[in-house]
Amino acid sequence: MTPSQTVGPFFHDCLLRDDRCESIAGIDAGVRIHVEGRVIDGDGAGVPDAVIELWQAAGFTRISTDAEGRFSFSTARPTRVAFEGGTMQAPHLSLAIFARGLMNHLFTRIYFADEPSTDTDPILRRVPEARRTTLLARREPEGSLTPQYWFDIVLQGEGETVFFDFKSPVP
Amino acid sequence: MIITVGEIVRGDAAVFPPYLYEAYRSTIRRAPRLPLVEVPLTASELTRPRLEVGHVTAEDADLTRNADTGGEALGQRIIVTGRVMDEDGLPVPGALLEVWQANAAGRYIHKRDDWPGPLDPNFLGIGRCLTNAGGEYRFLTVRPGAYPWANHENAWRPAHIHFSVLAPSWSQRLVTQMYFPDDPLLALDPIFNAVPEGARSRLIAAYAHDVTEPLWALGWRWDIVLAGPGATAFEAREQSAA
Repeated sequence: MTPSQTVGPFFHDCLLRDDRCESIAGIDAGVRIHVEGRVIDGDGAGVPDAVIELWQAAGFTRISTDAEGRFSFSTARPTRVAFEGGTMQAPHLSLAIFARGLMNHLFTRIYFADEPSTDTDPILRRVPEARRTTLLARREPEGSLTPQYWFDIVLQGEGETVFFDFKSPVP
Repeated sequence: MIITVGEIVRGDAAVFPPYLYEAYRSTIRRAPRLPLVEVPLTASELTRPRLEVGHVTAEDADLTRNADTGGEALGQRIIVTGRVMDEDGLPVPGALLEVWQANAAGRYIHKRDDWPGPLDPNFLGIGRCLTNAGGEYRFLTVRPGAYPWANHENAWRPAHIHFSVLAPSWSQRLVTQMYFPDDPLLALDPIFNAVPEGARSRLIAAYAHDVTEPLWALGWRWDIVLAGPGATAFEAREQSAA
């Protein structure tokens, strides 16, 4: 295998040029949701040079954080995904986080706190209970037509987000 | 006691760098400190979304001309080519490769790169291409220069080209850097040396005289091996199980 290296600080012109991003964005159809949050480092400071990629059945999205570490995206509300033995995973979004200082990207998932099947998700159940809440996007209470969620990505320290290491496929 | 190298690694610890590598200062406040949670790959990671890569042109892979100024980038013209494979050695066709690099003088066009190296108006330093049916890619560019950075006193990055590989399977996602052999800066570079010693050579291209074109450009070959199993293997197994 080829080892990973950091994305460094100078990726924007290549990875985030509007015309290029749009051309790999996929179809991403369906009921829209809006997710906002911050990428936060071990000092509690926003990470201003992170790239977040979002992958789900409906499509692919790539965004960067702003000077305060904030990000936001709209995507299709995900549906349930098959797991082993005819069971199902709860709706989720798969995320990869890249940044200067990250020697390898981090994989995580966004689940939805207001989705009933989240409690029974087989992947979430493998996460230590005290840390599961770091993977839950909170529904913001306003009555907007597009559901609004908040999800912070804490790279290090208090409330550190759960990051995954994927092993072999489900047999 | 100061921990200089962390124990948290994603993937094979003999190949992939640890998140915390204190000699590379930016890792200190960004590396996770809690263990990664091991989970099985599921359809979410192995199934390709409806990814539509549109408008990739031959010009995108020619960094010497794709600034579209009508002029050609300055520097030693090089061809960088190779194969993208999965862990079983099978080619990965249709992978999107995106590359970015400093110009021949070691300067990025990026607005945050402000060291006094000259910019080249005919060089953007960005390119992309799709792998063909054999998993092969090919870029025409100029050899990048080394550039200084603020990590430590008199720090210089060895010449490198950043590669992003977007393969059909999410679990195969890779961002890395390609280096050149016999670069004296490699031994001094904490980003390169964060990779376990036995795997560092995998990041170094090989001079390939059969790729070199007479009176035109020097050839370099660099293969990329992604973590397996690939989406193709997953689909084959799904079909055989059905």
